Amino acid sequence: MLFSHLLADAHCLSLQMRMIMISWLLLLSLFRQSTQDGQGDGVLRCGPQNVTLAHNDQTLLLKWEDDPSCSVIRDGLVYELQVLIADKPVHNGEVVVTPAQIGSTHSWKWTSHLPSQCARHSVRLRSQYNNQSSPWLQKMLPGMQSPAEISVFPKDKILEVGSRATFCCIVPEGKSFRRMYVNGYKGIEKKISEHVHALTLHLEQQSENWSDVICETTKGEISGASFHAGYPPGDSDLQCETRDLESVDCFWNVGRKMEELAIVRRKYQLHGSPCISGHLGKCSQKVEVDAAERNWTLTVTNPLGKLELHDRADLTKRVHMVAPDKVAASTVNPRNISLKWSWTVQKYSNLNLTCQVDVSDGDSNTTTKNFGVGLTAAVIKDLIPHWDYDMRVRCGTAQHFWKWGDWSRSVKIRTKGDVQDALDVWMKVKEDQTVISWKVPLTNQSHGEIFDYKVSWAKTKEKNQSNQTNVSRSNHSLTLTLDPSEEYMVTVTARNINGSSSPSTIIIPRHNLDKSEVKTSWISGSNGSFFLSWPVSPNASCGYIVDWCPVFGNCTFEWMKVPLNRTHTTIFSKNFEDGRRYLLSIYACTEGAPVLLQRREGYVRETKIEAKLFKLKYKQEDSAVEVSWEPIPLEKQTASIHGYILYYQDKSGDVFNVSTDDPEATSLTAKNLNISTYTFTVTALTAGGLCGNTSINVILNPPADQIIMLTLISLGAVFLILSVSIIICYRHWACIKDKVYPPIPKPVLTENWLTSPDEHTVRPLPFDQSHYSEVLDVPELHDKFRPPQPVVGQDYMPFTFSQTPKGYYNKPLKKLQPCLTLPTTGLTSQPGLPSFPINDVFPNPSYNLIVQGEDQQSQSHPEIQDGMPIIDSGYQAQSPEESFSTAELEEEPDSPISCVSTYILLPQKTSK
Amino acid sequence: MAGRSTRSINGSNGSRTAPARAAALADLLHYECSTLLELFRKKENFTEDVADRRMVSVPPPSSQLDTRDKLWRIHSALLQCQKLLEKAVAKEEEELGGGKKGEYENKRKLVKERLPLLILSTGELLKAAEGTTSLTPSVEGLELNVPTNLFDLKLWVYRVYKEVNYWSKTATNTLKDLPSVIVKERARTTRARRSTRR
Repeated sequence: MLFSHLLADAHCLSLQMRMIMISWLLLLSLFRQSTQDGQGDGVLRCGPQNVTLAHNDQTLLLKWEDDPSCSVIRDGLVYELQVLIADKPVHNGEVVVTPAQIGSTHSWKWTSHLPSQCARHSVRLRSQYNNQSSPWLQKMLPGMQSPAEISVFPKDKILEVGSRATFCCIVPEGKSFRRMYVNGYKGIEKKISEHVHALTLHLEQQSENWSDVICETTKGEISGASFHAGYPPGDSDLQCETRDLESVDCFWNVGRKMEELAIVRRKYQLHGSPCISGHLGKCSQKVEVDAAERNWTLTVTNPLGKLELHDRADLTKRVHMVAPDKVAASTVNPRNISLKWSWTVQKYSNLNLTCQVDVSDGDSNTTTKNFGVGLTAAVIKDLIPHWDYDMRVRCGTAQHFWKWGDWSRSVKIRTKGDVQDALDVWMKVKEDQTVISWKVPLTNQSHGEIFDYKVSWAKTKEKNQSNQTNVSRSNHSLTLTLDPSEEYMVTVTARNINGSSSPSTIIIPRHNLDKSEVKTSWISGSNGSFFLSWPVSPNASCGYIVDWCPVFGNCTFEWMKVPLNRTHTTIFSKNFEDGRRYLLSIYACTEGAPVLLQRREGYVRETKIEAKLFKLKYKQEDSAVEVSWEPIPLEKQTASIHGYILYYQDKSGDVFNVSTDDPEATSLTAKNLNISTYTFTVTALTAGGLCGNTSINVILNPPADQIIMLTLISLGAVFLILSVSIIICYRHWACIKDKVYPPIPKPVLTENWLTSPDEHTVRPLPFDQSHYSEVLDVPELHDKFRPPQPVVGQDYMPFTFSQTPKGYYNKPLKKLQPCLTLPTTGLTSQPGLPSFPINDVFPNPSYNLIVQGEDQQSQSHPEIQDGMPIIDSGYQAQSPEESFSTAELEEEPDSPISCVSTYILLPQKTSK
Repeated sequence: MAGRSTRSINGSNGSRTAPARAAALADLLHYECSTLLELFRKKENFTEDVADRRMVSVPPPSSQLDTRDKLWRIHSALLQCQKLLEKAVAKEEEELGGGKKGEYENKRKLVKERLPLLILSTGELLKAAEGTTSLTPSVEGLELNVPTNLFDLKLWVYRVYKEVNYWSKTATNTLKDLPSVIVKERARTTRARRSTRR
């Protein structure tokens, strides 16, 4: 057991020993390996040496060399770097060193966002190879000392617009930071340490000058740092040329506005030489110009950057010539001038040149081109005599034309005078008067001051017997009295200091042109002018002439000549007036007299015709009225009249019209009018609408035959009615007589009755004449046309009076035709009322006697028989119907007299 | 100029008007300088209390100072101001200038041109007070430590303007309080003192 234990222990020990041995062997082999590759114990021996850390502004520059042991490494090294700001790692980097680079000095750059003054910057590095690293080697920038006063860094920096910049404020011990700010920029503040604060700005805009980052302590102390935000150079488009073949002139676009601050201003160099006017975008340098292409380089620098612009050119093909010198006229003629000049650049004399001469006459410019080697002269033709010109010259190379050179200074030259140009003559014939007219020569036609005009004329048959007269220069026409039956030739010339002009001749035809058989057609103007066109005339040999003058008023004619190849023209004239009618004539120009081709008439622009244009008259014929007017004179026709409209309106306001399309019409007739008062308005129809309105009022009279007819009809009607009435009356005479004038039976009265009134309640017949007349005033009852009007109380009297004048008075009953006329409808009974009228009415005893008539009985009305009163007027009671309606009468029809209590009461009434 | 000083000393009308004229000139300069300061403040976004530090070195004011001493003090301060201002303008043009010719630049030019006139006036008054052998204050010792960075340069220029403003105001007050009679008496006293010295 013990043995076995010992054996086991021995075995374990041997295993452990074996393991240790293997480990040692491995370590030994590793050591050997590391010794061979420059490394040992997991720590690489190959590492950096001679490390230096420097800084330029905010850029750190690290330099180092490899340890000599690195030379054994065949496949390159990696250096790991770490930047620390205020002992905090802020950036890691690595540098790969190739086997070839091993042994040389290595460098590494890194730009910090913080100025080195703001915080301690340090860099550490180590080498790495096969997962082995050398120890870190750290280098620190020269120490930042705590300032005695508040400070801001970096100072006076020039920064690019669009970039970010960090400023820091260092507050010394014992002072407290309050804030950091910049006017015009937004920033983000950050605390770096207790005494260091940073402000990061995004520079979005260019500084006008120097901007300030200001740091303020809690006690109000300030410090700051200025900076400028700008742009790197932005010039472009370099182009080089030569002007004198001895120097190069380059131009470019400077881009943004040039900086005002001197420190940031761009500096220009052309081929290494400074350009004084570089900020203007041009630079010139003396060079040897030869026929070969060269590169031209412009370098632009400012604190924010550098720019190179290139142009490749053969300057002999880029000659921008200077202006010709001493330009002057060598020869001056009336219509041409020889111009000469010289060159300030001698080398131009060998160049094949093209030159432009700009000739200005004040209103227009013309340019002529000339070619030649070393050109120094040119002839300018087609000039106007006695005319002022401004001339200038510029040239360019004819071969390899680059661009036109500069214009020379302008020279003023006046051409020599000449005779006046031939006059433009025209004529107008009116009967035996012929007006010869010529256009006032323009200054460019007179070529000098005109003295006078000479007009000569002769019959074409007798050319030798010519007459002539001089016309003063202020007149431009001459009226001749010529024989219309003869053809004349008229010649006009103008005289100036240089002599007489070429004669202008016109043939006056035998017959008056205006009387020819040419129809006049209408023309409308447009835009203040007339556009005319006509067919080609075989007669025309020298073109056409169009003349025009107003149709009325003084015919101061104007004309224009149209070349033979044209058969249309547009006529403008400053003398054209709106609303005025013009006559335009087109003539063919021939070898002989002009031939009238066409004639037009029209307005340049029509204007509204004024109101009250017409002088109106009217004539009534039966039911028609003819309204007429005088023809409208042309001077009043400010627009073309296409017709007329006659409006007429009666009292009811209805408007009717008649119209005509005939512009020559002078009347319009309104028919089927009523006998009324009418307003007639005549208006002219023009393109611009209705105008010239003129009105008259007319009272229409009925025609005489109509009156007669009406009278006859009336008379006939009356006669007929009378005849019918008579016949009816005749045939019913008996009835009428019975009704109107019944036989009055003699009353049978007892003596007692007559003599003892006291015994009766009824009074004897009160035949008071006045009462009687009042009661008999019955025609009203028979007035069948009168509506049944209730007559109240004493209003009865006026009614009576109204009738008396008509002779009804005292004879009413004879005239009554109760059968025919008695109204019944209005006499409605009113139940409940007393059966007889009670007031103011005297029953007529004689009237009541009518009830004895045969007819009356049959016509009795039941309502009335009930004894109901009709109305409160006692007058009603006297109607025949009422008289017949009493019950008493029916009961005792044969009674010669019926006494009604009412009668008995009457006296009481009258006593009232 | 000398004649005018003589008249001033001799008690003619001119003797009363010379200090008054100088006071008016100082007042005008003070006004212009105040405007210049305001323009500069606006241009550089400075507050009024920035850079309150004296640059001119002269004896402190005292009620014991006589007219001559008062004049000398003012004259000396103004001479230092002139030196500072010239330097400030030159440095500003050189370092900060954008070549602009605006209101600020015009006002700066005006102040720069007007200050020598006041110095001339106070110099004449000093001459009159001291007699012909006046002691011209020296500015040789004036420290012109112009800052090298731009922000500090701006502050420095501002301090110079403030100094000119301060001394032009002081000059105004001093010259206004300077009766011509005292000048005259002082001149006599000076002469008497000098003759005694001799």
